[in-house]
Amino acid sequence: MRRWGVATVLAVAMVGIGSPAQAQTAGQLDRDGPDYDGATVTVEGELIGDFGRHSGAVWAQLNDDPYARRPLLETGELAGSNISVALRVPVLLFDLAIADRPGGYRYRGPLVRATGIYRYHDPQRGGESYLDVAELELIEPGRELHEAGSTGAAVAGAVLLLLSFTLLGLDRLRNRE
Amino acid sequence: MLLRPHREDALLIGFYLSRIIAVLGVAGLVPLVWAVLEQEWAPAASFLLMVGVAALLGAAGRFLRPAREHLDWSHGMVVVALTWLVVPAVGTIPLAMSGHYSRLLDAYFDAMSGITTTGLALIQDLDHLAASVNAWRHTLHFLGGQGIVLAALTFFAAGGILALYHGEARDEKIFPSVTSTARFIWLVSLFHAAVGMTSLFLVGYVRLRFDPGRAFLHAYSVFMAAFDTGGFAPQSTSLGYYHSPLFEFVTAMLMVAGALSFGAHYALWRGPRNILRNLETKTILLTFTVTLGATIVGLAVLGLFSDAYSLTRQGTFQVLSAHTGTGFSTLSGADLARWSGLAFAGLATAMALGGMGSSTAGGVKALRIGLTLKALANTIREALLPEHSVITATYRQNGLKHLSPQLAQSVMAVSLLYVGLYLLGTAVGAAYGVPLQDALFESVSAAANVGLSVGVTAPGMPVLLEVVYILQMWAGRLEFIAVFALVGMMVAWAVGE
Repeated sequence: MRRWGVATVLAVAMVGIGSPAQAQTAGQLDRDGPDYDGATVTVEGELIGDFGRHSGAVWAQLNDDPYARRPLLETGELAGSNISVALRVPVLLFDLAIADRPGGYRYRGPLVRATGIYRYHDPQRGGESYLDVAELELIEPGRELHEAGSTGAAVAGAVLLLLSFTLLGLDRLRNRE
Repeated sequence: MLLRPHREDALLIGFYLSRIIAVLGVAGLVPLVWAVLEQEWAPAASFLLMVGVAALLGAAGRFLRPAREHLDWSHGMVVVALTWLVVPAVGTIPLAMSGHYSRLLDAYFDAMSGITTTGLALIQDLDHLAASVNAWRHTLHFLGGQGIVLAALTFFAAGGILALYHGEARDEKIFPSVTSTARFIWLVSLFHAAVGMTSLFLVGYVRLRFDPGRAFLHAYSVFMAAFDTGGFAPQSTSLGYYHSPLFEFVTAMLMVAGALSFGAHYALWRGPRNILRNLETKTILLTFTVTLGATIVGLAVLGLFSDAYSLTRQGTFQVLSAHTGTGFSTLSGADLARWSGLAFAGLATAMALGGMGSSTAGGVKALRIGLTLKALANTIREALLPEHSVITATYRQNGLKHLSPQLAQSVMAVSLLYVGLYLLGTAVGAAYGVPLQDALFESVSAAANVGLSVGVTAPGMPVLLEVVYILQMWAGRLEFIAVFALVGMMVAWAVGE
């Protein structure tokens, strides 16, 4: 717990958050990006994909779609495409807050709460849009997911392969005759 | 009088179709091995099933082989048209079994989008997709971009293969034989694969500091989609995921390489001067400049970007992606939907025009545009000159060639067919209440095999619209002739004697 506190204090000291943060979803930021440019916002969701370390920061993707809370491999419920926002997190802040790997297949990534300034088409970054994170808090660590077995499909595939080799063998025999 | 096809015709078509499907089975071994290495057992089982289905169909076609194996022109065209319907159907198996699609049609849509190198996607929760299935989506791009039929030609040449070659919308023979041309195309592709994947891997691993395994997945996927002007991406945010101008630059180079015809690659290897004199090269440089200029001016008017670098970087990448028919984006669908007016016109026109002929790009194609403009200019000249003046129209494309009225007519006919195809999807989209601009954008994107989206293509979209987009991707990729041959044979089957 102490780690999260330290991370928050450090980040606030480094970046400074003037105005109170408003809780938003990644979908809202995407839909109404220009309206949120320069605003301090908080988003919650799963860190997913890769943690890229470049340009003096850690770049991560935060998904706040239904799969973040209810992973597809567990529920089997589809809920549309992914909804995400890019995070740019100072390296120190990230390393203090996150000691986990990002989400992906068979892994639900760490759930976090990120607060920072939303940059829409940032001229400093060649027109990219992202959340410039100043506070990062781990809500729930990542966890393993288990895939369903597909023995039936494997057996069916093997049988079909066997059948096809039999047919090819018969064809060869016929040609010899 | 139409002659009804016989059983022997069906066997002949089935024979060649089955051989091409067998190639899909071989290609399916790549993601199967990938799944085993990653210990993704459920996807591995689905790949094994797909390989089994492809192998059985391949073996059945061989077992039921017809008395004669020589393909004539119309049979070859029908084989190609059916190939591009059946191969995605078999390739759908691992996608459908992944659990990431609401309905089977959605999985088939993505397989068709993959094989036609379109890049529109209905997959849900892409970010949690198994790496091997993700690799398979991109391998479909490679198979389709290189030409699955071309792959078959490389391995087992047979009588009548010229029809198969042309049926897949390729009309240039770099070498005297189709087989050696096919092998040259594969050589060019493998060279680019080695250089492209290594470059992308190095950017991912060294510059972006991704894990090596993940850097390889990104390199493999993005290379396949860029060089084959596909547009699928391994993450839901497309190229915007990387936040790296360097990654975008390498990808852009691969997109340009993919949009060049293989004849142009051959000419480039011999020296760039040869290619710069071609009408096709001049046309594509002109259309790219005009559409990019229009888009940049449009974006400046809209005020979506506050500085010149952002405007140029984002504008150039999206237009390049549209013009090469790739469909990668560094912006979200909602962002693209804000591109109205001249910016929209520039981007949509770039998509509609497409890349070079006999390349992996879609759209009307640069040579047709160039020839259409030349034919129009000649018509105007004819009207202005005295009545009995004789005008000889020529153009330079790997040598000086005569622009005959027949050639001009056929070029304009295909261009008009594309316009009709664009309008068909627009009309169906608009009928479902999609705003006209969005309906037009998405329709052009599907029919020109681009893949940029303003959000119309989404899970839960109307079934009819989805089917229309599937047909648009299919007909657009084959450039109509093979489609007409198939329709003709179906009509003959139904009403022939």
